[in-house]
Amino acid sequence: MSAAVLTRLRDEYGAARAALPGSVIDARRRSEAIEMLCAQGLPAGREENWRYTNLRILDRARFTPAQPSAEALPPLPEPLSGFARYVFVDGRLRSGATAPHGVTVRSLLSGSAADGTWRLASELPEARLALLNEAFATDAACIEVRSEAAGAGIELVFLAAAGADSGASYPRVRLALESGARLTVVERHVGVGEAPTLVNSAVRVELAPNAHLTHYRLQHCAARTAWFDTLTAELAADARYDLLAVGTGALASRSTVHARLTGRAAQLALSAAALGAAQQSQDMYALSEHLAARTSTVQTFRGIASDRSRVAFNGKIAVREQAAGTDSRQSLRGLLDGAQAEIDLRPQLEIYTDEVRCSHGATAGKLDENMLFYLLSRGIAPEVAQHLLKWAFLEDVVAKIELPQLRRQIEHGLVGRMSEAVALKELL
Amino acid sequence: MLTIENLHATVDGKEILKGLELTVPEGEVHAVMGPNGSGKSTLAHVLAGRPGYAITAGTVRFKGRDLLALSPEERAREGLFLGFQYPVEIPGVNNVYLLKAAVNAARKHRGLPEVDAFEFLTLVREKMRLMRMDESMLSRGVNEGFSGGEKKRNEILQMLVLEPALAVLDETDSGLDIDALKVVASGVNTLRAPNRSLVLVTHYQRLLEHIVPDRVHVLVNGRIVRSGDRTLALELEQRGYDWLIGEAA
Ligand SMILES: Nc1ncnc2c1ncn2[C@@H]1O[C@H](COP(=O)(O)OP(=O)(O)OP(=O)(O)O)[C@@H](O)[C@H]1O
Ligand SMILES: [Mg+2]
Repeated sequence: MSAAVLTRLRDEYGAARAALPGSVIDARRRSEAIEMLCAQGLPAGREENWRYTNLRILDRARFTPAQPSAEALPPLPEPLSGFARYVFVDGRLRSGATAPHGVTVRSLLSGSAADGTWRLASELPEARLALLNEAFATDAACIEVRSEAAGAGIELVFLAAAGADSGASYPRVRLALESGARLTVVERHVGVGEAPTLVNSAVRVELAPNAHLTHYRLQHCAARTAWFDTLTAELAADARYDLLAVGTGALASRSTVHARLTGRAAQLALSAAALGAAQQSQDMYALSEHLAARTSTVQTFRGIASDRSRVAFNGKIAVREQAAGTDSRQSLRGLLDGAQAEIDLRPQLEIYTDEVRCSHGATAGKLDENMLFYLLSRGIAPEVAQHLLKWAFLEDVVAKIELPQLRRQIEHGLVGRMSEAVALKELL
Repeated sequence: MLTIENLHATVDGKEILKGLELTVPEGEVHAVMGPNGSGKSTLAHVLAGRPGYAITAGTVRFKGRDLLALSPEERAREGLFLGFQYPVEIPGVNNVYLLKAAVNAARKHRGLPEVDAFEFLTLVREKMRLMRMDESMLSRGVNEGFSGGEKKRNEILQMLVLEPALAVLDETDSGLDIDALKVVASGVNTLRAPNRSLVLVTHYQRLLEHIVPDRVHVLVNGRIVRSGDRTLALELEQRGYDWLIGEAA
């Protein structure tokens, strides 16, 4: 990472700033963000928690936001029934819906100046690419949920359409749930075309006491996309955050999740599945910071690396002094499916208090030969047998998807031929 | 149905099968008995095509074809079934899905269309009743959390649904309680047919009271050292293997 990139970043910002909407982020905040980012420098491979990210892409990236496009939408994933869908193209709202009862969904592009002041609130160096988003964001989805919204559903589709030459796309979301509110959000990142694309997304989750958010995040970007993503979450007392991420797309994908459990008995369940094939890299860093008593985290990761791909999950659980009675569980598993593939699993535990229950396990290995032979001995073709076993491997995460329609879509995406198994399961 | 001549097989450079000869005609049930470590499971695995075994000499003909030239899945589709001594647990792969995929693989091989889902389930349910298996097992992962006896019953269920031409059952009776043994035996007996053969690997004469074999073979140190009718099993029960081990040496 050279100084030249930072100079270019500053120059690009200088040229773009006048046109960046203040209602999304005010101008002063944007300039601060750029300065903070330049002071820290862009992430570098020598940093422990960025080791497995494909960062070379940033050397050549064009940071300026892509111009709004009026091109017709390509086919998008089938909408989920009962969900209000909002489509963003290159980070700008293209089409909306009527928000469910108790939910406000706004595009900040048409918001007021006061809207432009919220930020991601993470000092974590791993979260600093959110500053890039803060500097350049062209729109933001602001979703506020009141307590009377009982189990409403919102679907956010972020389409990256512009090629990297014409600019980057900056999806930005704020999800704020009032006390006792419940919401399910499906957030999809998709793309079109063969051109390299840069996406830098930032998501902020705020859960008031007793709020419950179920959040599905699906990264199915196009083949040459670089997807950098930062999510920060703050959980008040008794809040519950079920976050389920599935990553199959992009050439290089890196997601950073920083959850702060600040209220007593807040609960976080983070489940993630990642598939790497060809030359893809799928990297996730997830920090769960326990700052109050009796909080809990369950982290589940299943990753499969095929061909020459690299799949990494770095899961850290930090239990601060005031977080007595914390319960945390980590189960990280990787499957190597290729002599040149790579899996890197890092469970980390940092405990500053007594009286905690923490268990963690991380294993990486190949497909089980005994299982494989058992399937072959029943006449199953080797490719199908491998598919089945990979499928089975991901099941710990996929089974947690509570929306049948979404699960089917994801299952289809994961293992094309397995739809039949699902149909049969339902028949029984 | 099955003709094995002078079969030699090694694992990790160690010879386990040392010139094994065995012929199982169509419609017959043969029992293979023998001391621990004599090579019974090795034989079963070699027949099913498990990787890791080197065949250094000999031939195996199955329905007139060179069995050893076929891949494991082709052997299965041709009608060879191996009932595992230690059935594998595969969490996450649905039991009924495996059954259906197995049936369809064999049907496709024979140029038949896929089985109708509803008819298939009706058939599976009927066989499950026969095996006294709880229907909930269908929707579980393959053998996942099954008890030892349940796994063995599941093997027989698969066999009943697949209707193989030749079934090699490796100690399917081990770990079964007395009632389960009868259930499994009656399940196996329903498959007996003039065009179907069975090889039962067992340590116990008791199974052979329920599934009466046409021939009994004794496998010692990688070779069949004695063959006879069912009375051989009774003799073994009384005398053990020592007298045969002496002869084999
Ligand atoms: N990978 C291996 N390397 C060396 N020896 C092996 C290997 N696998 C199996 N063997 C040996 O092969 C021999 C035959 O094993 P096999 O499982 O066929 O016996 P078996 O007759 O089925 O015994 P049992 O009655 O206990 O089931 C044993 O001595 C076993 O230790
Ligand atoms: Mg054995």
